Amino acid sequence: MTTPTEVYQRRFEGHLVRIAANLEQLVLGHLGDAEDVDCVRARAKEPARFAEKASRVDEQGQPKYSTPLTEIQDQIGVLVVVLYKASVEPIREMLQRYLRPIEDTSIVPDSYWEFGYFGRHVVMALPQDTIPAEVNPIEVPTFFELQIKTLFQYAWSEANHDLGYKSPSPFEGDQSRRFAFAAAQAWGADRAFDELHEELVVGRGKGPNNQG
Amino acid sequence: MNLGKIHSFLVHPAKGEEIQPLIGGTEVPQEGRLGDMLAAIFARAPLECDIAITFRPNDDGNQENECRDDLVTYIGAPTIATGRTIAGRLQRVTTHRSGLGLLFLMTGADGAVRRLVASRFPADQGILAEENKQQLSVEFLERVFMKSTKAYKSAVFESDSAQAGFWDGRAIDRQISSPRELSDYWIRDFLLSELRTTGAAGTKRLAVAFRSAINQASALDTRQELIAAATLLSKRDGETASANQLIDQLGLSSSASEAVESQLPRPDLLEEVFRFDTEEFERHLLYRLVELDNGGLLIAENDAFPRVFERIELAGSDGLVAFRTQGHVVDERLRKAK
Repeated sequence: MTTPTEVYQRRFEGHLVRIAANLEQLVLGHLGDAEDVDCVRARAKEPARFAEKASRVDEQGQPKYSTPLTEIQDQIGVLVVVLYKASVEPIREMLQRYLRPIEDTSIVPDSYWEFGYFGRHVVMALPQDTIPAEVNPIEVPTFFELQIKTLFQYAWSEANHDLGYKSPSPFEGDQSRRFAFAAAQAWGADRAFDELHEELVVGRGKGPNNQG
Repeated sequence: MNLGKIHSFLVHPAKGEEIQPLIGGTEVPQEGRLGDMLAAIFARAPLECDIAITFRPNDDGNQENECRDDLVTYIGAPTIATGRTIAGRLQRVTTHRSGLGLLFLMTGADGAVRRLVASRFPADQGILAEENKQQLSVEFLERVFMKSTKAYKSAVFESDSAQAGFWDGRAIDRQISSPRELSDYWIRDFLLSELRTTGAAGTKRLAVAFRSAINQASALDTRQELIAAATLLSKRDGETASANQLIDQLGLSSSASEAVESQLPRPDLLEEVFRFDTEEFERHLLYRLVELDNGGLLIAENDAFPRVFERIELAGSDGLVAFRTQGHVVDERLRKAK
């Protein structure tokens, strides 16, 4: 019997990488000449990462995903990196003209005293335009994940994800605090650049040069 | 796909009513002519339902949708009680204009994949004519439920996962291009869903296909036909239809329609239903036509027009302008005005 991971491997090699490339071009086209976009990247999840995620268990030790090919919604992911925090919302609105979401949430730490993952997390219907003509849509995930992040949110989450993935054990207290420290610095940098952008470019801010 | 259970519910128009009418429900046996008819609807639903839809997230943007929750509950335990919850949802959005209807819920499975079909038959009036050897007897019938070609509605959902699946489906709604109240009734108000293809996405796709077809058409006739058709399409703002339907309505020649169809990445995209958006269409395909009082006509793609035709304002001549262009003549002919 073929396992979900084997099916995924076949799909990854057969068409998911191509679909991700098509999706990247589609999103770039929708964004047109939008300002303040640093980059757009799309990827199909690496089979090893899919296998790892599909094999996760819950607190009772039961498989977290009974139908991973349906339940794992980030098999294809798109990342839009923007320069300023204020650009996240206009970019999200621009993309929602063309793409249909089933989830659209802003992820922030639970408490104002915490620093960690920040970002806009959207799950959207995969446009049929991205599926090559010879591929049966049944062999393609129904949805994809879109993340819109600032440069600093992206930098923090990439390092956090990489170290978390490579680390054999969960972070200890002081290590978590250092991650939080880095997150706080990224948050502060975003805020500073947002304010500077407002003062220097948009011209509506109340920075020292704009105060009459 | 094996049909499992069929339930039916009489749904009254009760939108905005504080006290909702009780909803009668029954399990429908699969034997007999009614069972056969419903089994055929269940089997054909994935082909018959031609509108791709997705459920909306909740107001907080989370992946939660009350209608989907009700449908998933029914799929897990198809009973009169769980079906009545869905019927109640339909009743609360049914206006007197939509009227009385009979809702059928059908579930079935093929291995791990489960299917739910929800179909609404509108009530109509009819006459029963019975003929025997001697005479004909006629009788007026007040509550006849018909699979009306104008008002029949259905939706089908399939997935192998109750937890993460059933977030998209397909619907049929012959009133989707009707006035807003009727067009929103089945998909937006009852199913809490949206067309999977946004108006901007479907329109952009069609505009880009037209633009590419115009640019690549080798025959001048085809190119002119496509330019004229694109101009007509701009007047379809707000119309809900598939690219195929829009092309059909334009009455294009086979060479022109094939030229457009060949520009789509997949042939099945021709059938995707969306709400046409003129502003979006003109963003991607806009032709500028200048008519001069000397009988001259100049036409070019809007973005390219200033490059193709240099406009020279003639000083002191009260609005007189000259246009200058140069290029190789690729076609020249006489044409009768229609």
